[in-house]
Amino acid sequence: MTTMHNNQPDNKIMIKLVVGTEAMFFLCLIMAFIYMAYHSGFEPHELNQLDLRTTGIYTLALIASSFTLLLADRCLKKEKMRGLKGWLCLTLLLGATFLFGQGKEYIRLIRGSVTLNGSVFGSSFFTLTGFHGLHVFIGLVILSIILLLAFLGDYDKTVGRGSALSTAAIYWHFVDIVWIVVFAVVYVLPEFTRL
Amino acid sequence: MEELVTIPEPDRPFPGLGVSSNQGLLQWISSVDHKMIGIMYLLVSLLFFLIGGLLALFMRVQLALPLNHFLGPEAYNQFFTMHGTTMIFFVAMPAVFGFSVYFVPLMIGANEMAFPRLNAFGLWLTFFGGLLLYFSFLAGGAPDAGWFNYAPLNEKNYSIGPGIDYYAMGLLISGIGSVVTSVNLIVTILNYRVKGMALHKLPLFVWMVLVNSFLLLAAFPSLNAALAMLLLDRQFNAHFFNTGSGGSALLWQHLFWIFGHPEVYILILPPFGILSEVFQVFSRKPIFGYPFVAASSVAIALLAFGVWAHHMFAVGLGNPVNTFFSASSMLIGIPTGVKVFNWLATMYGGKIRFSVSMLFAIAFLIEFTIGGLSGIAFSIVPIDWQLTDTYYVVAHIHYVFIGGTIFGLLSGLFYWFPKMTGKMLDERAGKWFFWLFVIGFNGTFLVQHALGMLGMPRRVYTYPALPAYGILNFISTAGAFLMGGSVLLLVFIIRRSLKRGREAGDDPWDAYTLEWAAASPPALKNFDTLPVVTGRRPFWDMKLAARKRPLPGDPINAATNPPHTKKTGDDYDAQ
Amino acid sequence: MLFLVIGLVVFICLRYRAKGDKSEGDQQTGNNLLEGLMIGIPAILLGWFFIKSVGTARAITPGSDPARKPDIVITGHQWWWEVEYPGSGAITANEVHLPVGIPILMEMRSGDVIHDWWVPELGNKTDLVPGNKNYLSVDIDKPGDYYGSCSEFCGAQHAWMRIHVVAESPGDFAAWLSANGKPALPPADSLSKEGAALFQIHTCANCHRIGGTAAIAGAGPDLTHVGSRRTILTGILPMNEAGLASWISHPQQIKPGARMPDFIFSKDSIAAIAHYLAQLK
Repeated sequence: MTTMHNNQPDNKIMIKLVVGTEAMFFLCLIMAFIYMAYHSGFEPHELNQLDLRTTGIYTLALIASSFTLLLADRCLKKEKMRGLKGWLCLTLLLGATFLFGQGKEYIRLIRGSVTLNGSVFGSSFFTLTGFHGLHVFIGLVILSIILLLAFLGDYDKTVGRGSALSTAAIYWHFVDIVWIVVFAVVYVLPEFTRL
Repeated sequence: MEELVTIPEPDRPFPGLGVSSNQGLLQWISSVDHKMIGIMYLLVSLLFFLIGGLLALFMRVQLALPLNHFLGPEAYNQFFTMHGTTMIFFVAMPAVFGFSVYFVPLMIGANEMAFPRLNAFGLWLTFFGGLLLYFSFLAGGAPDAGWFNYAPLNEKNYSIGPGIDYYAMGLLISGIGSVVTSVNLIVTILNYRVKGMALHKLPLFVWMVLVNSFLLLAAFPSLNAALAMLLLDRQFNAHFFNTGSGGSALLWQHLFWIFGHPEVYILILPPFGILSEVFQVFSRKPIFGYPFVAASSVAIALLAFGVWAHHMFAVGLGNPVNTFFSASSMLIGIPTGVKVFNWLATMYGGKIRFSVSMLFAIAFLIEFTIGGLSGIAFSIVPIDWQLTDTYYVVAHIHYVFIGGTIFGLLSGLFYWFPKMTGKMLDERAGKWFFWLFVIGFNGTFLVQHALGMLGMPRRVYTYPALPAYGILNFISTAGAFLMGGSVLLLVFIIRRSLKRGREAGDDPWDAYTLEWAAASPPALKNFDTLPVVTGRRPFWDMKLAARKRPLPGDPINAATNPPHTKKTGDDYDAQ
Repeated sequence: MLFLVIGLVVFICLRYRAKGDKSEGDQQTGNNLLEGLMIGIPAILLGWFFIKSVGTARAITPGSDPARKPDIVITGHQWWWEVEYPGSGAITANEVHLPVGIPILMEMRSGDVIHDWWVPELGNKTDLVPGNKNYLSVDIDKPGDYYGSCSEFCGAQHAWMRIHVVAESPGDFAAWLSANGKPALPPADSLSKEGAALFQIHTCANCHRIGGTAAIAGAGPDLTHVGSRRTILTGILPMNEAGLASWISHPQQIKPGARMPDFIFSKDSIAAIAHYLAQLK
């Protein structure tokens, strides 16, 4: 060892910093959402169109995907390549399910004339959830690349050594946590307070 | 025999593009070498500095006389918007990053940044963000709502042209570039220090860059979020800032200043770091109160997030809010003052050598104190209510940005130019430049304090012939031209020094930090081996050790460096 | 503080010049007592500023009496000030008449972007924020003219959004207010009758109001008593027939970017309209 400071691999520190700065980004969007709710007031009939139950189920899918990714990571460390591929596939499937659910919700809302340019609520809602959806999508792309590499046999030789999967996992868990907060603010909170 | 560590090779200096190091421009464009990228950052900064300065001169010509007709309101408003945006995002930021990516690896004894390609990516995002911003001139009008771009003036109903869209896109792109470069710098500093260089032995410049990068990562998302919302408003008719349909004008101000005030510190902390090095070397003393200088940066970074609303005292937030932000804004004066006094204490008892670099550092102490104290005035709410948005503010920010940031950067330029090029930057001509620049700068901005107190609002393209307005503005314009002339002189000095400058040698200033242990200019691979760091002035320790020992072949980069001699630099002040 | 720093800089620079020798300076690295002073003294000074400033801010902020109605409502527009005196029917623009010796509560609104009211001699700045209402209390001692300007950048003609406050004795003010609360004078001579007709049939009436006539729009400045003002366009031109005529004939040259477009009028029409407006005292 030539330098003494390699406590963590570069990738891990890098992704934690990225996650930190992304967290600030979402914090701003969430604060803007709350600010708009108090400053302008959201139309109750628009808020009421949100489907708490269905979205809740898709939320569970996203949360589950974090656990399946944890299992995939564990398989990689134990050099169980089939388990790795299987859990990764399931993670991708769950993530895609969430995006599908979000798409359905969007279509339903737009048909109910809640749109980005329709009202303050529409602007705030689609911006916040849309940016989150974009991050889920990016996460899916990253995980797909890792899955592809796993199928190509990249992980067979350097078993457990590469930090790509655990690095991507940090990002994926972050996206997951952001959604829990967004879900709480956008879907659950209005049930209790009259914004 | 002291312990030597081998410095790890950079992964791949030129990523498999089949480019060799003698292919001219292509070599620069494809380079991932941190030194070439650092120089390109500095060149980008210089390019935009000349453009931004030219815009300022046009504005000063328009304002030289009352009721002047040199520029119309459209042109003037575009010019002052572009001037501010350019100077902050495409001059000060790239210059700060240029010195950071060039010298951080060298000062911590590394051969490369942690992510060399990401480094290049950050540079090109910054550059193309700037190009995109300037493309707006061709695309139907530059942004004209000020660099602060307040809502709802930035909305389609009030700014119909495409300028604001270019502003938002340009800043988003360069903002992402800044974020990735900061990530890169942090990882580099945390993981690539030479053995023995614990965090409390980091050179202060590296300390400030580290703190600064965290500050930037925390501050920029706020701007990016605001810009994203603005683009959604303008392109897809969303309603965030559109006051006509329920949006909020103040949301933009909050988001912008949550970014904007830390940004001021982002631009000043690295120059603080440069000065902390310069004061040590040219006073021939270690820094006074290292832990206080380092810790005060952290204090500044933390407090920076609690002061944004002092830009908004006049919007009617109510007295309790104003009082809170007044207190926090005053508090931030304390760590800044700690730094100034520590630098003074560093000079006290030293053997001061008045190189141009040191002259800028000393001038900085005075100019920045003026800027800092006129800033304290704004934290006092009733004074702010009188002076905000007047020429007093214009004077204040220029004392901070020029007297602080630019003086610090120029000090760094004269200090590090020999390292970057192997040639001395002409000291005698440099002194001419120094005095012209300082006189021009004070001539331009000192009188603006008075203009502000006389009631001249800022951002006006013309003004009526009120008593004293004409003469003060004329003095200001004259000062601006002196400054402009001195910048041309600087460009000329750089050119001449590159061609015919004196050879600098590896260590012209008899300096303290590791970059001076590398060759001038450093080879593609900065270091082969370095001794384990034991103190805060590692290169000074190395030289002490070398002097005590008969030279058994120099331990420092025996391959690339000649044995260290003191013949080159010490006679610089005899010029 | 500034002089302290300058003094120290000069003293140190003179005292500790390197006089050609190559020796190192005093290798001192710090002193905790001195650091304490560096933090303590500014902290005490700032604490004192702070206490002073909070007191002053309290003193000049309007009291929070929710029942109090504003005496005057100012609405910022790109790039002029609409001034309304609630209850009196008087609406004017750019020239703000205020009584001396009486505390006045001003309500600040914006019709478009953010503006900022600033008359340096009459107290603090106050932003006019669309969607919000801000309040400013003013108490003027001496009659006279006070000048100020918009001091938040508000677009192309921010520079020509100046303020002229006319402070008068309560008696003069009451007289002014009652005169300005009345509908506009009818056109007196034939030329102004022609001008009045032109005003109504052309697009003037689409934007401007003249009290007592069919023109009731509020997009541009109220012209009911425009002839009694001293200047037009917040001070670019004097208020007289020549000034008005020159403005009507090419607004975009005089105040580029202003909301009033260039119209195609004959010279005679312009003269008639200007004549009509100038006699609206």
